[in-house]
Amino acid sequence: MYFNANDVTSFMAQKDFIDTAIVPLVSIDLSSEKMKQSGAEVDFVMSLTSFIEQQFKGRLLVMPPFSYMTTLKNDELPQQLEAQLHNAGFKHVFFITCDHAWTTSGDIVNIIWLPAIPLESMDASVKKSIMEDQLRQVIPMLSTKWAQI
Amino acid sequence: MSNNRVSRRQFLSYTLTGVGGFMAAGMLMPMLRFAIDPVLQKHDGGDFVKTEHKIADLTEAPVKVDFSFEQVDAWYKSNVTNVAWVYKNGDQIIALSPVCKHLGCMVDWGGDSAHPDQFFCPCHAGRYEKNGKNVAGTPPLGPLDEFEVQDQDGYLMIGPAKANTLVK
Repeated sequence: MYFNANDVTSFMAQKDFIDTAIVPLVSIDLSSEKMKQSGAEVDFVMSLTSFIEQQFKGRLLVMPPFSYMTTLKNDELPQQLEAQLHNAGFKHVFFITCDHAWTTSGDIVNIIWLPAIPLESMDASVKKSIMEDQLRQVIPMLSTKWAQI
Repeated sequence: MSNNRVSRRQFLSYTLTGVGGFMAAGMLMPMLRFAIDPVLQKHDGGDFVKTEHKIADLTEAPVKVDFSFEQVDAWYKSNVTNVAWVYKNGDQIIALSPVCKHLGCMVDWGGDSAHPDQFFCPCHAGRYEKNGKNVAGTPPLGPLDEFEVQDQDGYLMIGPAKANTLVK
């Protein structure tokens, strides 16, 4: 489910079943040499997140992406967000990102880090099979956490 | 010269009838067009989408079939890829929607090793029999939806979704 009026209404009604929050963390770099790479990362993270949402719609709520620039970055952001989401009743919180810097927080919170794949020049069927491969990497991380209840 | 000459009176009445007829038609035609407009409306989304699967290749075991169509959402156009689980039951082709009736996840055929002949929803362990009937005791409350199917030159065409007709 997405964080919009319709889905949040069904979330409120089905709170017992939707116990997982997914938070995309996207870094925005406006320097001319890295801007394109940054755009590709956002594209990849958001495509993958929507794909995960499509597969597991009934178990997770996808948060709007939290974006930051290198200078505005707060290293405590994932921990603080996780605490808020736990308070809101989510048992599992996952952060999904292409920014390698977050892997250091991986011991404290669930960070799913994947290297960005540039999707812009691919045609639809190649893109789809690549996203399916990426999803297959993510599913075990979700299902091991789900199995731990 | 022909012997039945047209009198001035006749000429005027013919001309007036003709012109009047055109004017009346000019007024009535748009009205008629508006009146029957709902019938002529093009139905979006009700069309069949061609897939890359040949009907001859289908078996009794459900396979995942992708089909994509263009969806217009206000001014945002996007290519949506949808999935169906397709199998043959005798001569009948059955295409089931993979969307779980509980909260809308994607179900998987044989996704649960304990029940290889059932559809399985990974989110809350919902299960469905092969015909889409929800297994009692699992969260889903209704059977999986079904897609209408057509055959075009041996290729499978998938149409709009409808309520499951296989579960009695």
